[in-house]
Amino acid sequence: MMKSCDTQLRARGWNVRSSLLLLGAVALLGLMGCQRGSRIEIAVIPRTSGAMMWEPEHVGAQAAALKLGARVYWNAPTREDDIEGQIALVQRVSFQNYQGIILAPDQSRALITPVRRAIERGLAVVVIGSPLPMPPGGRLSYVLNDEEAGGRIAGARLASLLHCQGSVAILGIDRDISGIVTRARSLEEFLASACPAVRVVKRDGSFNIPHEQQVAEETLRANPDLDAVVALTSTSTLGALTALKNIRTIHRICVIGFDPDSLFRLENPNLDSLVLEDTQRMGAEGVRIIVGKIHGVSGPRMTQIEPVLVTRENVNSAEVRQLTTMDWRPEPFAATWRIVQ
Amino acid sequence: MKRSSVGRRVFLVPLLGLLLVSPFAVLEYQRSPHRGLPYHDSFATDRAEEWKAFGGTWELINGTMRNDSDERGAKLLTGSMRWRDYSIEADVMLLGTGGDAGLVVRSSDEEEGVDSYTGYYAGLRNLDDTLTLGRAGHGWMEVTKPVVLNPGKVLANRWYHLKLLAVGCQLIATADLPSQTSNTTITVNDADCISSGRAGLRSYESGGVWRNVVIRPATESDVAAILSSAHLQGDQSSPSQNLGVTSLSSFHAPEADYPAPGLPSNPNTQPISSLKSFPVARPEEATVRGTVILTAPAMYVQDSGGGVLVENSAHEAVRVGDEVEVTGTVRPSNFSATLAGATVRVLWGGSPMPALSVTASQAATGAFDATFIEVEGRLQTKAYGNEDTLIFDFDSGLQSFRAIMKRGRGDALYDKLKLGSLMRIRGVSVVDPAYTENNVPFTLLVRSTDDVVVLAGPPWWSAGHLVAILTCLLLLALLSNYVYHRVNNWRLRAIAEEREHLAFEMHDTLAQGFAGIGFQLEAIRTGVPEEFSGMHRQIDFASELVRHSHAEARRTVDMLRPQQLESQGLLGVLSACAHRLVAGGSVAIEAKAVGDVQPIPLRISDNLYRIGQEALANAVRHAHPRTLSILLEYGKNSVRLNLSDDGAGFVQREDLGGFGLLGMRKRAASISAHLDIVSQLGQGTLVTVMAALPPRITFLSWPQLLYKFLREKYRNATTIEPPHPGAYRG
Repeated sequence: MMKSCDTQLRARGWNVRSSLLLLGAVALLGLMGCQRGSRIEIAVIPRTSGAMMWEPEHVGAQAAALKLGARVYWNAPTREDDIEGQIALVQRVSFQNYQGIILAPDQSRALITPVRRAIERGLAVVVIGSPLPMPPGGRLSYVLNDEEAGGRIAGARLASLLHCQGSVAILGIDRDISGIVTRARSLEEFLASACPAVRVVKRDGSFNIPHEQQVAEETLRANPDLDAVVALTSTSTLGALTALKNIRTIHRICVIGFDPDSLFRLENPNLDSLVLEDTQRMGAEGVRIIVGKIHGVSGPRMTQIEPVLVTRENVNSAEVRQLTTMDWRPEPFAATWRIVQ
Repeated sequence: MKRSSVGRRVFLVPLLGLLLVSPFAVLEYQRSPHRGLPYHDSFATDRAEEWKAFGGTWELINGTMRNDSDERGAKLLTGSMRWRDYSIEADVMLLGTGGDAGLVVRSSDEEEGVDSYTGYYAGLRNLDDTLTLGRAGHGWMEVTKPVVLNPGKVLANRWYHLKLLAVGCQLIATADLPSQTSNTTITVNDADCISSGRAGLRSYESGGVWRNVVIRPATESDVAAILSSAHLQGDQSSPSQNLGVTSLSSFHAPEADYPAPGLPSNPNTQPISSLKSFPVARPEEATVRGTVILTAPAMYVQDSGGGVLVENSAHEAVRVGDEVEVTGTVRPSNFSATLAGATVRVLWGGSPMPALSVTASQAATGAFDATFIEVEGRLQTKAYGNEDTLIFDFDSGLQSFRAIMKRGRGDALYDKLKLGSLMRIRGVSVVDPAYTENNVPFTLLVRSTDDVVVLAGPPWWSAGHLVAILTCLLLLALLSNYVYHRVNNWRLRAIAEEREHLAFEMHDTLAQGFAGIGFQLEAIRTGVPEEFSGMHRQIDFASELVRHSHAEARRTVDMLRPQQLESQGLLGVLSACAHRLVAGGSVAIEAKAVGDVQPIPLRISDNLYRIGQEALANAVRHAHPRTLSILLEYGKNSVRLNLSDDGAGFVQREDLGGFGLLGMRKRAASISAHLDIVSQLGQGTLVTVMAALPPRITFLSWPQLLYKFLREKYRNATTIEPPHPGAYRG
């Protein structure tokens, strides 16, 4: 009798314990399910944010993410030369709950290790704009600005402006960004083959506007017979235009700029045209590639997107307006603001 | 009794009620949208621990909060995520041109980055002389309005009063000059509005200064008051518009507005590194160009070759990062130079220079004097210095160095920093004995708390922590020991209770049965005629067997009933046992205890009782004594039980068994007691059991016990001979 009571007690205790354990296991499983979620999360890190060159990338990425059911996290260092800041950002998102990163690197070499670590942690990475010295493949893809085409576009424009005569300064060669170096080389090669009579002067550059202005002033003073300036970055474009305000030149110098921070620059009589990267399309492509990779669909490892030449004739066209829109909100979620008073 | 339980209930019920309700009350208070409001800043008393920075270089200077950095989107935030309807207002001054500075409401999800937060911002922008009101969500959308202040421009280095109010989904921003009655107002309805969040300060591409920050709860009546005030002042409204395309204007400065340098730069500048080589005897003038790396406590300027101290400078307001031209008299020193009586001309505003990362050993050589460097070290001491400074001393392997920082926002950091932390510090390295006091090879003049990063806390393995671990382990061991003994006692008690139960069962069944059988046999004997003598003999024999079995059963029952052991003690139960055994006879029982009576553990007392019981039974059964003596002697850590009789005695042999002696020896061995039986024919028998008692651990005795324990251990260890080297050879 005692034995059977004892057995009953033990059995009851076992039942209670096992029920509690089962409940706990079910709760944990439920939590795990909640944690994982079904939406793909993509971190988009441009060279900087709040700039006309990069906000369109936000637009493109956001629109593509909305269509594909993904979510975009957008952030960047506040300066394009804040390489450490961008590295820290890439490092941080690599350890968070993201499935992919779309990165426009601030520096070709310094971002190799953070990108490699992100790939090792299982993230799909799409590098846009300018490449890293890492071959594409596996989880790494590139959607790049066709710098060779950009150099040729600028060269062709120069050729038509100068009629293949005179001298030109190429400013803003930032060796931190390999694409800019490619841009300069392509331009030089085009001029060498198409307009061998044109004299070329080159100066290195940075993302510091005052520094670029100083460089432009020095170049103009050293070469008073300059006919044109090709500024390969937004800072060197601005630096060149400001320098031209301060320095009296023999004749009017026309400037062709790359990656501008504002289309209003075209109001400056010295500025002839601008070469724009289609970062909106890069952002959209990047999201599509990452979502495809996660769903097991292999996409192109390397995509090159040709930049667009913007002149006073086409600056107000629908294509250019679309290319430069900074309204990053996807349409269904656009907030409506009204000025009440 | 009844009254006290009622009283206890009267006291307990409200207490329980309070305990149940208070967590909810606390939670409700924490979640209140007005907790912490109204708020007024404590900048005037150099306190700002409740503010958190995201980018920028924020410092408390002269009762104001100042951001010297031209970082795009530097933020400083405070308050609660639950603040809903409130207003923030402050006096705001822009430090540069080409940017904006203002206030933030309903902010959340903040990070470093241009628009990396979710919330609303209103600011004055001298790029296009507008008041701007916008919403950030890791992107930016805004509405702007030209200021109607007099003059109609937003000027740097001038105080404006800004107010940003959020009630429901209505946002109102107003800006005015303190000296004027007119103001500029924007009101916006956001259909999909952010409902709550923190408040703060923000600047974009222009540093700023804020003072008199006040945050108050706001209601519809506040909205009505502002709107009617704006209407009375004839503020013109703009037609309603959707957000989106208009945002372009916030980012793109018309080129004409971009600030150009005041004058062309001097072409005859010297590299700063060359100043060291200037003649000492005949001071000469020189002009250098570089970036400002520090403005307080002294101005330092650095170019690609090195840095220089600028003294007695006549200059317009400079900020860290400004590109400047400095002309002054060169005073070279061992490692760098000073420009005395200097004139400073700002060429243009710029970003702060990045720090050069060096080791402490490299910096200790003086090679980086007057240069902005970054170095790592472990914090050794921290102290408040003169002139409202904080002084930190660091150790970096073979080198040590010092860092000095303005107190400003450093108070919160000072309290948080733990000695022994590994830190990375950025600052201007100086070897001037005025800072180093010749105690360290170099000192870092730190610009702000943002230049101090804690890489790792102090090592966990410190003497204090080791002592704490050992103490915890010791307490755990003591607790385990206590629990073990308690559990053992419970086990023994359970066994004793089970025996008790068996004893009662046997008493109620066996004993009654034997008594019944005895009566029946007696009745049969009475009924059998006397001539059946053989049957009478058999019946007598059977009765004798029953009586004997009954006695044995009684004895067994007695043996299974230890409860008396606890209530009467060992001497008491042995005495009672002896009296039961000799009941009805003339045997005298003597029972005595000598020595300092102390508690005997149950296991030992139980076994002593069994041994004593067996010895007493043997004496009564076999020795036929006149007197039985029971003596219990208590020693310091032992107890001796002496049982003696003056009966027949017996001849002792080596192989003496029987009489339950085997059981007695086993019981003695089980408690590590020594059993001794001495007997002589006709002289009686003496049974002695000597058992050791566990030592009593008191506060005073434990060191002695520990010493004895360790000594025993050592003695045992040293008595073991080491094996002979040849012992293991085959």
